[in-house]
Amino acid sequence: MNMLSLQHFPIYSVMVLFLGAFLVVIFGRNKVLRHSIALLATCASMLFMMALIKPVMLDGEIIAYWMGSRVPAGGYAIGIAMEVDAMSLFFGVLISTAVFVACIYSIQYMSHDDNVPQYYTLFLMLAGGVMGMVLTGDLFNMFIMVEILTFAAVALTAFRNTVTGALEAAFKYLVVGSIGSTCILAGTIVLYAQMHTLNLAQLSALIPDHFTTATKLAFALLYIGFSTKAFLVPFHPLAADAHGAAPASISLIISGVLTKCGIYGIIRLTYFLFQSMNLGTTQFLLVFVGSVSMFVCVTMALAQHDFKRLLAFHSISQIGYVLTAVGLSTALGLSAGVYHAMNHTIFKGLLFLAAGAVLHETGTTDLGKLGGLSKKMPHTTVLFLIGAAAISGIPPFNGFASKWMIYQATYQKAVESGNIGFLLVTIVALVTSTLTLASFVKVTQSVFFGQLPKELEHVKEVPFGMRFAMGILAFLCIATGLFPEQVTRYLTEPAATAVFHVGAYINAAMGSGYAESAMLNPPLAAEPAFIESGIWSPVSWLCLLMIALLAITVVALSGKYDKVSLGDVSDTKYQLFYGGEANFASLVGSDDMFWGFKYNWRHYFSFMHELHSGVVNDYALWAVVALALAILYAFIVM
Amino acid sequence: MILFNYIASFFLIVLGLYCIVVKYNLIKTVIGLSVMDYGVNLLIITIGFNPGGTAPIFTAGELTPASYFVDPIPQALTLTSIVIGACVTAMSLALVIKLEEQYGTTDTREIRRLRG
Repeated sequence: MNMLSLQHFPIYSVMVLFLGAFLVVIFGRNKVLRHSIALLATCASMLFMMALIKPVMLDGEIIAYWMGSRVPAGGYAIGIAMEVDAMSLFFGVLISTAVFVACIYSIQYMSHDDNVPQYYTLFLMLAGGVMGMVLTGDLFNMFIMVEILTFAAVALTAFRNTVTGALEAAFKYLVVGSIGSTCILAGTIVLYAQMHTLNLAQLSALIPDHFTTATKLAFALLYIGFSTKAFLVPFHPLAADAHGAAPASISLIISGVLTKCGIYGIIRLTYFLFQSMNLGTTQFLLVFVGSVSMFVCVTMALAQHDFKRLLAFHSISQIGYVLTAVGLSTALGLSAGVYHAMNHTIFKGLLFLAAGAVLHETGTTDLGKLGGLSKKMPHTTVLFLIGAAAISGIPPFNGFASKWMIYQATYQKAVESGNIGFLLVTIVALVTSTLTLASFVKVTQSVFFGQLPKELEHVKEVPFGMRFAMGILAFLCIATGLFPEQVTRYLTEPAATAVFHVGAYINAAMGSGYAESAMLNPPLAAEPAFIESGIWSPVSWLCLLMIALLAITVVALSGKYDKVSLGDVSDTKYQLFYGGEANFASLVGSDDMFWGFKYNWRHYFSFMHELHSGVVNDYALWAVVALALAILYAFIVM
Repeated sequence: MILFNYIASFFLIVLGLYCIVVKYNLIKTVIGLSVMDYGVNLLIITIGFNPGGTAPIFTAGELTPASYFVDPIPQALTLTSIVIGACVTAMSLALVIKLEEQYGTTDTREIRRLRG
């Protein structure tokens, strides 16, 4: 076989990253060599993935690669496979791009740290683990990759071990993450005991006809394992701790990429292995967990005073959207879900990198100590505003396009199934989006506008390399927002279609005709219909927004508008004065803008504050309770 | 007799989880993680065990349809799992040492600067 044949590309794109990790260990002392190895490895990995877009996404090919050419014999998968269908490739492209951008950013961001060679080793191991996890076709291999990425992520969380809470966050992440990994291993082995195979394709063929109590247990274990990796409720406190403490480039990877691994695992588990998404109970599980995640985390975010911790909670809130859309089990829902997953990586990466830029220059991420940075860091401010607009779902940025699709998908599902519950989900999604916008108004005001504290007079704009990395992401934010039709046609719809072609996935690995011979009811290759109701052109919504803004400006300018006068404020707490007209001058710190809302909801907030106690035993207890509930749910209703 | 293995392995897993949830000492949390790992390892080995089977080591030609041996795949999985378990222990102990240096305690109830 030709060395450059497309068959080899998936393994190459994982291998270059691990190879890079080992080369950095050997040659890492030299700064130039270290950076070139890391950049080359991540760039090569990205190019290998990009090269597969045409055959896999557009021509619908499924690449099955057997290590050492040990192809299945006698109907049993004896070798270890890598299997890349459109769903794997979608996540592969997303991950490799994010990793490449994070690598560009790291070069200058990490320049002041000690032990930078070790950073790049761990970084490339993390990237390799993530790539391996989404491209593999073997359940045990998936577990190994999950372990590699968990270890690398834990080590990188604790990398700046002098930062407040870094070690603590790493330890909590390690404990609960290990419980999750152990669940994945236990689930894998229970499936092996029943089916005597570890290959994903063969398992997908065997499980639906042998759905026993043991496989139900395996479902619950694997579900909990993957939701630990996606930090879904009740594992969200770990995300907040880990994202907040890690260096910004790693926060990008943990929030933008690791969570996607969990989502990918859940998609493989529910749509492929168990093919149980036609059951109302599985749909309910995913939609319920997704909705709770999006609402709980956005309210938690409102109560935060740390820039990165706040972003971390928003991150899980957006993952809630993705899971909800995926759980609808409709073509439009899946397409919307993976679209939002992609957009989340882009805009959340941009926001974390902007937070990292602020930290890099000011040395703090405390919202109370920051302010007025727009004068000192204009480029970062503009880039941050693009990210903030995208996550809040303002047209024409990408967040709007995918959120709009999610609203439509949930509404359509409610109409189709006649279930009023899905309408409630639409409302929760809308409310969450509003709260997200509110929260980002607060952040923008208290970090980039308002008064510049005296300690921050010396602040400069960040180096070009960091702005360049943010610029790539900002460009992607706008590009994927302006051309949603192209993105859905070439990327998300093939990925969503792959999910409805389980039979093809099985046959690509096990030989054609295997699915038909091994399964009682071979899955039909349905051609999903991506029907959208209503107006959804982002351009028309942009026009509407512009007109509304213009109207508000005209009204504001024509009326009596007193300029804000600040006067002398003695208490430093009020330095970050926020708006209001002079007659109504009430002094409220800008990081406390929504004090009225918080006051009305004080019982809820204090309850949540008590609950997120920060003690690792409590979080472990949540994990155990979640596992117990998942097992009960699987046993009783599935 | 194989039933005892299953009972023991689930007992170990639950014991490990109990230890993680209930004990407030960091070192004991690490011990809990290890015990949980051992439980899973025992489960894997038990699943691959065939009573009366030989070790799955054959040279080419020795293997006939009549040979009766234990399943080799779970053994390979256990080996991997043991290595990973050792990594978990090493890494968490390293973190515990650093935590003790920074916080001056190994009580989880006092290591909670990140909360709310």
